[in-house]
Amino acid sequence: MRQIVVHQERCTACRECEVACSFEHEGAFVPALSRIRVNDFYEEQFYLPLTCVHCADAPCATVCPTVAIVRQESGQVQVLAERCIGCKMCLLACPFGVMGFNPGRNVAQNCDLCGDDDPQCVAFCVPQALEYGEVETQALAQQKFAAAIARKAIGAP
Amino acid sequence: MSARAPYLLVGNSAASLAAVDWIRPRDPAGRIVLVNRERGTAYSRVALPYYVSGERTLESLMIRQRGDYERLGVELVEGEGVARIDPEGEVELAGGRRLAFDTCLVAIGSECMRPPIAGLDAVPHHFLWTLEDAIGLRKACEAGARTGVIIGGGFIGMLAAEALRKRKIRLTIVEAAPQLMAQLLDAEGGRRFATAVAASGQEVRLGTAVESVARRGSGADVVLRGGDRIAADVVVVATGVRPNLSAVAGGPIRTGKGVIVDAHLRTSHPRVHAAGDVAEVSDFLSRQPTIHAIWPTAVDQGRVAGANMAAANLGRPAMSYPGSLGMNVVELFGVTLAEIGRFREEPGDDVRLLGGTGQGGYRKVVVDRDGTIVGTLYLGDEHGVAEMGVLHHAIKRRERWRDFAPGSPPRFSYAHLVHAAQQRAL
Repeated sequence: MRQIVVHQERCTACRECEVACSFEHEGAFVPALSRIRVNDFYEEQFYLPLTCVHCADAPCATVCPTVAIVRQESGQVQVLAERCIGCKMCLLACPFGVMGFNPGRNVAQNCDLCGDDDPQCVAFCVPQALEYGEVETQALAQQKFAAAIARKAIGAP
Repeated sequence: MSARAPYLLVGNSAASLAAVDWIRPRDPAGRIVLVNRERGTAYSRVALPYYVSGERTLESLMIRQRGDYERLGVELVEGEGVARIDPEGEVELAGGRRLAFDTCLVAIGSECMRPPIAGLDAVPHHFLWTLEDAIGLRKACEAGARTGVIIGGGFIGMLAAEALRKRKIRLTIVEAAPQLMAQLLDAEGGRRFATAVAASGQEVRLGTAVESVARRGSGADVVLRGGDRIAADVVVVATGVRPNLSAVAGGPIRTGKGVIVDAHLRTSHPRVHAAGDVAEVSDFLSRQPTIHAIWPTAVDQGRVAGANMAAANLGRPAMSYPGSLGMNVVELFGVTLAEIGRFREEPGDDVRLLGGTGQGGYRKVVVDRDGTIVGTLYLGDEHGVAEMGVLHHAIKRRERWRDFAPGSPPRFSYAHLVHAAQQRAL
């Protein structure tokens, strides 16, 4: 499936992605509600945008007690706002800290790929650190990390 | 229904449903019979308080539809509990009917404890555990209740309190222990949380037992030890839950506080597995027998038990369950609380107090004498919870604090792990 692929070395921490994401979803420039977050290590000049990678065995979906997190046919992990009770167990389950929470609506929220149509974080990323493409690099590393954790969590070989 | 079922599951919640999800891909044809003492499809117990508060509809509590059982080929036996389990391959239902099995999963969860309070049986009171409980409590609220007493300030008691507060019912919360939610909070966290509860206008009575209750009109008078009387339109009893052992008590299956299982989640009898609130499993950290009675570990255990039942039927190797890691998160009275693992310090531990986010913010990380992260506790706003997820997995990986969060002040996130890995590779 296509998702947000991060080219970490190109990120300049300009945070346009956070602004674009929040405007697309909230109709306002509120980076705190963005579903992509730029992690910055200014002294080391290391910047890493992180967002949901739609894990294969998604820990957020596994722990959700109301089946509010489902996988769509496209492979996308989706939060069904009308089923979410805002318990935040999914935030506690995500190894990457990328499940977000919208206190105004009292629901969890993750990257929805802007409906699989022109993700706005990618569109506004000037240094082209974000790409809408097949899983690779950062997303793949995140996936592998999550899979290893999932296996360990239930004791699979 | 007379033929022997390869899979007989007793219970219809997190553990049992997770078992179905892991049996079916391994054994596409094996018959699965699921016995549910309640009627209807599965609902989310975790969501019940949000139905009581009026934030959720009855329909939205359902986590399975009829079609889900049909699609997975699960035969649902409803409205009948299990009277007895013969571990050699037969379950006797409450009505006397017998069902034979090759493998059985005991996932009947827990039940509310009834405290020995004088007069309780003669007074209308509510629990908050089953769907029926929630429907009854919501009706009582909607009948115009203005005042309430919550007997028990633990997790469920405070969930009930939050639901009733949202309905503008003025509450007194009576807790026998010296702090609220001792399962979820340390003393300092309990103090901060109690401050938030009191600030919302509710009364909190700690270290206080309820001596008796008496009828008063359609409500009750709750009499505390010491003599105080509190009039309540609605009384909620939340003094804890315990494993529902009725079907195995006095039988051959070994029990302790719950049904005792091995690393493969097998009971003392190899055809019978147990998972979820009813199972006494090994603690991920201490290796001691434990029952966390939480949704996430019920799901993990259900998966492993389901996989191992299929493995037993198909002659394949069993998988191990690495132990239950306690964790919980909830937002109550405007405060988000989250805990993972062993958040209470023991002698020799290194306790790291970090700032939380939001008002009353409090974050604590407990590092054991070997330097391994074993637990964390958080109070604050919603912004601090995502980091708890990163800590959660560090605990599962048995990471050392020094490696996980170097620097001063310590910073940790998934990005830090990536950065550190990149530094090592250079």
